[in-house]
Amino acid sequence: MNIIQGAVHFVANNKLTFEKGPMPIKPYPSAANQVGHKNKLYPQPSMEEILPKLETPAVKVRIADLLSRYPEPQGALLEVLWVIQEVLGWVPRESIRWASKVCDCSPAHAYGVVTFYTMYKQVPTGRYLLQFCRNICCEQKGASGIIAYTEKALKIKTGETTPDGLFTIVQVECLGACGNAPVMLVNDEFATDVEGGKLTMRDGITLTPERVDKILKWCYDRSEKYEEEPVRDALGGTLVGHKGHPGAPGSSAKPQEMDYAPACPVLGLKAVAEKSGVTLTWKNAPEFTHLVVERADGSSWKKVGEPSVKDKEFIDPTGLAGMAYRMIATSGDRVAKPSTEEKAV
Amino acid sequence: MAKTIKVCTDNFGKGAQDIAVYKKLGGYTSISSRLFDLSQFEVIDMVKRSNLRGRGGAGFPTGLKWSFVPRHTGKPVYIVVNADEGEPGTFKDHFLMNEDPHRLIEGLIIAGWALGSRTAYIYVRGEFLPCIESLNKAISQAYVDGLLGENIGGTKFSFDIYVHRGAGAYICGEETALINSLEGKRGEPRLKPPFPAVSGAWKSPTCVNNVETLMALPWIFQNSPEAYAAIGTGCAGGTKVFCVSGDVKRTGVYEVPIGTPMMDLLNSPDYAGGIDGVLKGVIPGGSSCPVLLPEECEKATLDYECMISLNTMFGSGAVMPFNTTRDVVVLLNTLGNFYSHESCGQCTPCREGTGYAKRVINSILRGEGHDGDLELLLSLAEQYNGTTICPLAPALGQPMSAFINKYRSEFDAYIEKNPNHASPRISATHRPGAFW
Ligand code: FES
Repeated sequence: MNIIQGAVHFVANNKLTFEKGPMPIKPYPSAANQVGHKNKLYPQPSMEEILPKLETPAVKVRIADLLSRYPEPQGALLEVLWVIQEVLGWVPRESIRWASKVCDCSPAHAYGVVTFYTMYKQVPTGRYLLQFCRNICCEQKGASGIIAYTEKALKIKTGETTPDGLFTIVQVECLGACGNAPVMLVNDEFATDVEGGKLTMRDGITLTPERVDKILKWCYDRSEKYEEEPVRDALGGTLVGHKGHPGAPGSSAKPQEMDYAPACPVLGLKAVAEKSGVTLTWKNAPEFTHLVVERADGSSWKKVGEPSVKDKEFIDPTGLAGMAYRMIATSGDRVAKPSTEEKAV
Repeated sequence: MAKTIKVCTDNFGKGAQDIAVYKKLGGYTSISSRLFDLSQFEVIDMVKRSNLRGRGGAGFPTGLKWSFVPRHTGKPVYIVVNADEGEPGTFKDHFLMNEDPHRLIEGLIIAGWALGSRTAYIYVRGEFLPCIESLNKAISQAYVDGLLGENIGGTKFSFDIYVHRGAGAYICGEETALINSLEGKRGEPRLKPPFPAVSGAWKSPTCVNNVETLMALPWIFQNSPEAYAAIGTGCAGGTKVFCVSGDVKRTGVYEVPIGTPMMDLLNSPDYAGGIDGVLKGVIPGGSSCPVLLPEECEKATLDYECMISLNTMFGSGAVMPFNTTRDVVVLLNTLGNFYSHESCGQCTPCREGTGYAKRVINSILRGEGHDGDLELLLSLAEQYNGTTICPLAPALGQPMSAFINKYRSEFDAYIEKNPNHASPRISATHRPGAFW
């Protein structure tokens, strides 16, 4: 990579000079420049070439389903880009334009999104994308050794693809499986071992050079077995039974009803008898519109006051210790069940 | 603790991914038997009494957070589950969602009822595709069972859950960045206020909760809020799922009551089973928390107050011990690389500052350090605080200053490898700037 190694600064005669600095900066392979910006000149297919693949009935159904889940079409942009990547294997320039049309945003916005997130591939990668974690836990447990081993075994460097088009190595940040450090992802599957013809990640099983060999062999075997990598039918699986977000395109869902829950009773009622009478305190809920305080009168209840919903306490001047109180709250036109009975103490 | 109480991890290894199994294990009873008789305020009050605090890192009391969400604004209320687990060292949500997706759905329905939400999104990071598949399967089962959709259980309540797949950006774990990402934008944190509770996703009230927080709710409802509060300490109730990685005999996720001594977690045969080698330090709570020395670990208990008194953080529950064979300069170097790579680029102190720190640490590691470099790094760490929108830059600054202060001699040894270490660093060549 042609990264300028050194520093540019003004010297006394005000001429721009180049000085070779003492610190050659080793490019840190980030996932973005590994499968992203690195090759800006990569031949891009035209819209005519990609449209037939994108505008199939199956894709249309999926896109409609995705769009119905968000109040605004733009919400589905990340998911639509995933669909593109699943169908085409990567996200070419023109497909970003297509996504922006689907999601009703500007192509520039969509391009900004694609370049922000590291998992969208802006150049095609090998059939098996090997993503190695090189973050703190994995590094501690020897990730760099494993990466170096794989690079040697495949005779490529990080960010490169083998000549047979089978493997690409990239280094990524923490994969959220640090307990098994060091770990890797083979396409979308966590892999630290191969068991029963499947990639697995089990408790306490970590990558070793032998296991890397096993995984590579699994990939080779698979590539011989299948002409093309079988795609997951729908990334992340399908969701059945939902009607979408109310108001979204293609959705028949109705919005939430205001008063689906029972009205809120008064909670935390306390009654304290003092010389001046009985003081009641309670927890106010935001939805109260009306409050009534009742006092036990033999076997029935007698209303003794109606505090405002802003009040923090209520004093019953005729109250005495030992009398039972309760409160009834109203929220709009819903009357809540009475609060618990409290004896003044 | 005589009997270990498992709140979130109880169904591990029992095949609870299937709704029938989950119901047999007592799942969804909180909804069928209790929830629909409670008012919204009562549910929030129960969560408040349980003393449940957010498990995502900041530790904000959940009940209080819910009570900030305004009602009857005419706008829909969104619940967003933060499953964008990217903090190095943390992998609990991955396991929790894989093993017990229905518990998350049950917790979400409770939260939806309390907040009056119509739609919830589970934001899962892009790398967890198998996890997304199992979640979608579980959600579909819940739809078929009538637990989701319109008019659930014959009430007027309607609720939908969708999984939103992220695409690989650590910063999307920050709640406002997560909301931006959900809206189909670049995951850049927003200035607060307005807080998401008032104006979040699509300018509507939004509540962002961690996976583990929501998964504690079914237990609280099946037992009682007081029982949950009694498990933990006075300041935070319940249990916490810890992810132990690094140099221990058995790495993995372990659920222990809040307030358990840290060495119990690391040494007990039920949990991590002891340190591999001689302990040199522990990073508690994820990579952005300052490291603890062995003598501090002896004193440490796993709760919010104790961690703050030791000048570190409880964080997201990652515990990363490392032994004496590990090189702290290498560890800090990885952190510098990581944070400078993941900076979203909005704020100059973070975009330039993390890269600056990274290049200085890189050069120290290569044996090209200079005297005064450590002071430079410490002063940088100081300058991150309070100058950025989100805490990504301080998340590098804090561990950086802790590493340097606590293992200073090792850094000095590296610097002395440079024959010219006494000469000053030419600052022009280390000037921050992405294009160097
Ligand atoms: S550090 Fe490698 S998976 Fe977390």
